[in-house]
Amino acid sequence: MKGKFTLGVLTLMLSAGAMSAAQAYDGDWKRGRIYYRQVCTVCHTTELKKAIGPNERTQAEWAAFFKNDKHGKGKDTVKHFFSKQYRDSIKATNAAAAKFAAVPDNELLEDVKAFLNRSAKDGDAPAGCS
Amino acid sequence: MRTGIFMAALMAAMLLAPAVDAASDPGSAKLLKSTADHSQFKALQQEFNSGPEVTKACLSCHTEASKQLHKTEHWKWEYRNAQGQLLGKKTLINNFCTTPVTNEAACNICHIGYGWKDDSFDFTSEVNVDCLVCHDSTGNYRKPAGLAGNVVTKEMEFPPGSGNIIKPINLKKIAQAVGKTSRDNCGACHFYGGGGDGVKHGDMDSSLASPDKALDVHMDALGNDFACSTCHMTQGHQVPGSRYAPTAQDKGEAHLRGKAYKTNPTTCQACHGQAPHKKIAKLNDHTDKVACQTCHIPKFARGGIATKMSWDWSTAGKMGPDGKPLTIKDAKGHPIYTAIKGDFVLGENVVPEYLWFNGTVTYTLRSDKIDKGKEPVRINHFEGSAGDGKSLIWPVKIMRGKQAFDSVNKTLIVAHLAGNDDTAYWTNFNWEKAAAVGMAAVGEPFSGKVDFVKTESTWPITHMVAPAKDALRCHDCHASGGRLEKVRGVYIPGRASDHAGWLDTTGWAIAALTLLGVLGHGLARVLASRRNK
Amino acid sequence: MARIYIFKRFERFWHWSQAALIMFMLATGFEIHGSYALLGWQKAADLHTTAAWTLIGLWLFAIFWHFTTGEWRQYIPTGKNILAVMNYYSVGIFTGAPHPFRVTQLSKHNPLQRLAYLLVKLFINPLIWASGLAYLYYNELAATKWAASAGLSLGSIALVHTAAAFMMLAFLIGHLYLSTTGHTPLAHIKAMITGWEDVESDAAAVTK
Repeated sequence: MKGKFTLGVLTLMLSAGAMSAAQAYDGDWKRGRIYYRQVCTVCHTTELKKAIGPNERTQAEWAAFFKNDKHGKGKDTVKHFFSKQYRDSIKATNAAAAKFAAVPDNELLEDVKAFLNRSAKDGDAPAGCS
Repeated sequence: MRTGIFMAALMAAMLLAPAVDAASDPGSAKLLKSTADHSQFKALQQEFNSGPEVTKACLSCHTEASKQLHKTEHWKWEYRNAQGQLLGKKTLINNFCTTPVTNEAACNICHIGYGWKDDSFDFTSEVNVDCLVCHDSTGNYRKPAGLAGNVVTKEMEFPPGSGNIIKPINLKKIAQAVGKTSRDNCGACHFYGGGGDGVKHGDMDSSLASPDKALDVHMDALGNDFACSTCHMTQGHQVPGSRYAPTAQDKGEAHLRGKAYKTNPTTCQACHGQAPHKKIAKLNDHTDKVACQTCHIPKFARGGIATKMSWDWSTAGKMGPDGKPLTIKDAKGHPIYTAIKGDFVLGENVVPEYLWFNGTVTYTLRSDKIDKGKEPVRINHFEGSAGDGKSLIWPVKIMRGKQAFDSVNKTLIVAHLAGNDDTAYWTNFNWEKAAAVGMAAVGEPFSGKVDFVKTESTWPITHMVAPAKDALRCHDCHASGGRLEKVRGVYIPGRASDHAGWLDTTGWAIAALTLLGVLGHGLARVLASRRNK
Repeated sequence: MARIYIFKRFERFWHWSQAALIMFMLATGFEIHGSYALLGWQKAADLHTTAAWTLIGLWLFAIFWHFTTGEWRQYIPTGKNILAVMNYYSVGIFTGAPHPFRVTQLSKHNPLQRLAYLLVKLFINPLIWASGLAYLYYNELAATKWAASAGLSLGSIALVHTAAAFMMLAFLIGHLYLSTTGHTPLAHIKAMITGWEDVESDAAAVTK
């Protein structure tokens, strides 16, 4: 009983801590732009020969993309590509991954979301690939 | 008892948790560089309905700002050069969209003010200075075309009846987040000069907003991350390094802190000094003749955005089979013909042209007589020569065009292009009407006769500096047919056109004759020794 | 036939390294000039400069050696026998006549050689050396008042340097050929390698 209570408090505390961090963070669209251009776009260009411009999707489409969390037709999660583990795996050859190696996953995700929200087809500043 | 202590400790931990969390979070642990959080200023905690309202709030603390800005070319759009020519966007004609005059509502969204729609604009108004276009950090500030630089705070349809909805911007949020100028701020206008991304300069386009190292070694977003103002070191809002007053040759030392300098801080030498090449010292021997940019900017328009290399206005006005203004696009989807503007040639990764430049630029002004027999007319002319002691070899973009001129009065034409009226060329495709309105507006005579003349304008290439490993190599110039083949007045080892022809001919002839002589002598010896046996 | 030791160790070392350097510098020099592309301009220029400094170093040693050993006297021109030697190379060599000149340790070059080598040492070499250094240090030179008033341009320096290079090339071709005119085609070359020259046996055979 007492054990369960302690565990409950602990869980509550941890989630509260996590939430406060997530909520406190306001996405930095400029850092998101760098990550999008120099990680997402670079890899799409080399692997698929074609990158996706932020302005090729609407804000709603980008939001849905992050919510569904499916990348490569469901092969991976979107979040994977914002994880420290992923950044570590490419940082030898990718300057952006190296520079942002220590940035918390959720911050980077918020940064890119902020950039895409701004640069989407219906955003305030639609932006193409370069 | 034990449980009690544990619980108490837990409670304490819970209370401390957010603080600990925040400290371990690198984002929130960052030291703010500014001493002011603008969101806390009362003056900015209000809803703003127009740009000038924001400026008024800014001026309540920054009392001198507008007075400083009134002195700038950014505000005046006027500049008098050393030859006494009156330059600036207000008066100059170029061979892109030619001039903003009579097109103010469209063009003057790039003026750092609000409401310059015609001649009646008040250049002494402090609240008409636009602080946000340079100090917005959200990237959401917009000055829509057609509104004379005003901003939209309530959803509006523009042009009226078009069904085109302009979304409002949140001035309060933008005002509360102001900061130092960034590449995005300057780029909002300077990347789009000539009417579109990368059109005018060739070395400035939106790819420089967040460039990688290969594109620009200084602005590299992951490296040096220079803002424009890192080089264009601005004091009292006076931005140095204007194209109207270029420094072609800087023989000064690298600028040290604490020392007062009167020279242009934007030159390469202002940081790098006179002998920047440490590994290959011989390269320093080039700096008496060659501008840094010549080797260090191997190509322009390198960021994936094309620049306009030529523009032929004389073909404008064609309608497509559907009776609507014709547009032709290239394989990449960029227009290469539009009815309102004519034919374009675009260029990416362009090798610059090179010329001697001493810092003096002379312009063809709208009142100057031009001679069609001497095409192309030089809209501006970079002066300089090998022997004047002030010139260096500079890389430039030369924009070639064909544009309207008055064939009787022999002057370039100011045409009214943009506007929802009967005389605007972009509305009704009539040069004579557009020219009559344009020329009347600037007070120049117009004969009623419009012809087209080839023109050239020259633009210095000085941005998009590549990393050292991508700089030009010796053989790019030290060869026949190399980059500098057309640049005369300097001896370039390896360039055949510099050779004294007689010397090479004589030299090789003597060598060949010597060889022939000794071979003949040798042959005779062989034959003689056979006979003697 | 007898053998005499005429080329000392340093002399041979100097000769062959100078020969290699001059040939290398002609090859790289004409590439810098723009006559052809071989190593690439930058490499050619780098190596040409390095070779130049090496050669200058070598010359300093050689000059020192010539004066301390008195060997410089070997290059004092003489008119004696010069016509006979010229006659030998234009006629006698084909008829099998003996060479009119006898090599000794005190006089190892025939009158024609003396003249040719003196010309190289007193005219072509200084011309190459001076114009080359002026070429290399043109910026410093051009900054002086003297150069400005003299109207000294890189083009004129290059002109002199190139002209000297052509002279050196012509000399090299002749010299290479004449080295095959010993009593056997390789005799002179062997002597330059070993130091020992074969001479007619009636000559005083001096051994070490």
